[in-house]
Amino acid sequence: MIPDIVGNLRGSFAPGAHSELRAQRSLSRRVTMLQGNLVNNTRTDSQGVSARVYQGGVYGFASQAELSAEAARQALLTATENARFLDGHAGLGKGALPDIVSGALAPQAAFTDLPQKHYLEFLRTLDSYIASRYPDLASRTLVAYADSMEKQLLTSDGFTAHTLAPRSYVYIFLNAQTKDGMPVEVFRPMGGRGTFDLQFSAPEDLYPQVDSLYEHLMKKREGVFAQAGKKTVILHGELAGMLAHEAVGHTVEADLVMGGSVAGPMLGEMVASPLVSMTDFAHTAFGEEAPLPVYVDDEGVKAEDAELIRNGRLTGYMVNRELGRHFSMRPQGNARAFAFNDEPLIRMRNTAVLPGRDKIEDMIASVEDGYYLISSNNGQADTTGEFMFGISLGYEIKNGQLGRAIFDTTISGIAFEMLKTVDRVSDRVSWSSSGFCGKKQPMPVGLGGPDLRCQVMIGGK
Amino acid sequence: MHIINQTVDLAMETLGGLGAQVFSARGVKSCKNEFNVEGGKFSLFRTTLDSALTLQAIKDHKRGVVSSNSFEETSVRLACADCLAAAEAGQPDEAWDMAHEGGGDFEEGAYAPDMDKLFARTQEMLDTITTQYPKVVVESLIVAHTQADSRYHNSYGVCYTGKTGWYEVDIMFSGHEGDKASSFNYTSIRTKSLDQPLIDLGSVRQLLEDAQNQIHTTPAQGKTEGTVVFTPGCLGGVLYELVSNYAADGVLIDGTSQWKDKLGEQVADPALTLRLAPEDARILTGEKYSQDGHASKDYALIERGILRQFMLSDYAAKKTGHTRAPNTTFALVVEPGEKPLEEIIAGIDRGLLVGRYSGGAAGTNGEFSGVAKNSFMIENGKVTHAVSETMIAGNLAGMLGKLRGISKETVADGTSVLPWLAVDGITISGQ
Repeated sequence: MIPDIVGNLRGSFAPGAHSELRAQRSLSRRVTMLQGNLVNNTRTDSQGVSARVYQGGVYGFASQAELSAEAARQALLTATENARFLDGHAGLGKGALPDIVSGALAPQAAFTDLPQKHYLEFLRTLDSYIASRYPDLASRTLVAYADSMEKQLLTSDGFTAHTLAPRSYVYIFLNAQTKDGMPVEVFRPMGGRGTFDLQFSAPEDLYPQVDSLYEHLMKKREGVFAQAGKKTVILHGELAGMLAHEAVGHTVEADLVMGGSVAGPMLGEMVASPLVSMTDFAHTAFGEEAPLPVYVDDEGVKAEDAELIRNGRLTGYMVNRELGRHFSMRPQGNARAFAFNDEPLIRMRNTAVLPGRDKIEDMIASVEDGYYLISSNNGQADTTGEFMFGISLGYEIKNGQLGRAIFDTTISGIAFEMLKTVDRVSDRVSWSSSGFCGKKQPMPVGLGGPDLRCQVMIGGK
Repeated sequence: MHIINQTVDLAMETLGGLGAQVFSARGVKSCKNEFNVEGGKFSLFRTTLDSALTLQAIKDHKRGVVSSNSFEETSVRLACADCLAAAEAGQPDEAWDMAHEGGGDFEEGAYAPDMDKLFARTQEMLDTITTQYPKVVVESLIVAHTQADSRYHNSYGVCYTGKTGWYEVDIMFSGHEGDKASSFNYTSIRTKSLDQPLIDLGSVRQLLEDAQNQIHTTPAQGKTEGTVVFTPGCLGGVLYELVSNYAADGVLIDGTSQWKDKLGEQVADPALTLRLAPEDARILTGEKYSQDGHASKDYALIERGILRQFMLSDYAAKKTGHTRAPNTTFALVVEPGEKPLEEIIAGIDRGLLVGRYSGGAAGTNGEFSGVAKNSFMIENGKVTHAVSETMIAGNLAGMLGKLRGISKETVADGTSVLPWLAVDGITISGQ
């Protein structure tokens, strides 16, 4: 753990100015094996301090790549100068930010930084299993990845905190060829919060998931192109989570609302089927710790859940302290910074569609001609709510039965129109947390949801 | 520079002392000053002082890489030990090596910032948008100056030192009228000078104008095969997807590239020449040397439609038996065509002018499908109306053989130089 650097610097804050000091260390470890070749064997360690000061409606920010009290003091001085410069040139004449609850978060448990050898040996065993059991693969790529953020936060008027957030994943990519020689690929991330050794006790534990992935690949090898057009589909929970994050979540981030997002005039309106509810969970969801829990954000706000949609009606935005004041909404802990030299931005935490009552088997049986879309390789949305998800694994549904696998395709729609077509919601929730959300800075986020039956545009031949 | 030299020397001495046989250290110190605008108003002035130390060690043909940002002596020694430990835990592969020759000193760009002028240029840009593009809302604008000093040294004696500085503009915006809004669009520009108004750089003005004309949209009707004209802002991403799937390390090492046996063969229309050119005068602060210490030179990946070179690192070149790419950057320069854009569009019966593409990652088969964002319909030789909910699909490699035209106009944004490029045979589907 990093030593306490900012704890004794409260006296350095300028009286009356909202100020934040953050010391942070971020670690990442990555090992990649491509066809048995160790092509990436990397460790990164990034640490430093930053300060942010509010004056007249604008912020000054500064950082130094050094973990010391002196560097923190210097960052605070520069941030104060920057705030003065900007206030003098373009200040908005605003007063102090509204008060927030102050307090101190109990320190979180330290974790062990595993040696690189641990990741290498794990991956070698897994790679050997795949190479020997499935020699007919065209190629295989395995990645072991772990990262962590440790933050010490001191704010002039909010919570202080010392948080640690490790997460660990194994990514497997398998490739084969169709009978026409066309390459097809399947991909699965596995893992979640915690260190690599706690998340994965032995490579052998992953063999059943590898076997299942290989089965999907063999079906995809015999696959067909999806038929382009508007279709009835069942989105697996992984895709429902992506929808919650990309197509809805971003449009209700208050900074994007200020930028003219489609959600601006829709607060209080019906934007989805009454079967749809959506929440950005802070740290606990459905009675369990959320995939990537946030207890205090980087403005010192104690984190709580942000309800976004209740029974189809848009009920809230995600705000920071500044825009909470603008929209008369209580900040709920959405201001998050990625690296020590990043300022807090409005970000999601664990965004999910809430489960319903349907069984997935009944949902599939209810579709005469459509698709069951299971996995995605990327997703994007814009402030109009128009979204696009790349589909990397899916199956036809014909007369209520799963049919042939489909090749990679893309789905799209307008979120607040598409969500009105949701007419069945399953009773199970799937979470994923292996990627990064991109918005000036990357950020680990959790996304989840149940299976949804709905209408979307599907791209294809 | 002194602290960088001292740190790199310490790292080299430590790596050698720990038993690394081939090794390198690269140190960078940088300072970034940045103004942020949100919702059309200044919101943040940010100053970051950063360091980066990248170590590579090869021992018994096993390689480890460590990146750290601490130049403090104990941390540097720990990072070196970590690097050796990572290498020792690895597996031997004779393909790992570094440059045996090369080196040099370079200085370029705008090293010292003029923050008052940068602020004034930013305010001017916002004011110009307000008066000349009244329907545009600036969602975010980030203008910055970065100053960086660096040194690379490897155990073969290859050494580079550099001093660079540049200004950057990143703007994201959309058009609005009442409750109607266009899709957001964005562009990034890198420049070494503040002599010109920022709004006149790259294709900013064209994109702002387009945003105003993309507020009211109509979905394309039905499904047809047609011509797609990619704008320069969209083309870079499409070509990156293409070369990643056909000409890059991963797909050539694992043999899934469909171009693996096509070197020296025609893979595109003869009108297409695609160069990766960090030395081009229009590319600002382009790569000077690769991660392995090789001096960076321009090269043609595709020349008059013929695949001339794969985009391979030194390691991948040795694994595949091909030659190493002369640089490892994606400073993309596509040679212009002979016809003006207007003339190319005039020859299209039905198609799309695609300003941004939002699609799933194409697999190694090159099949792509995605949403045409910030796009206009082309009908009977004319750009008619903006579209929404319209998808395009095709094959990355296939479309290179169906080139309709390359414009004589190009856009240089400091990181690439690209024309408009028209291809036939793309599936366009709407409602």
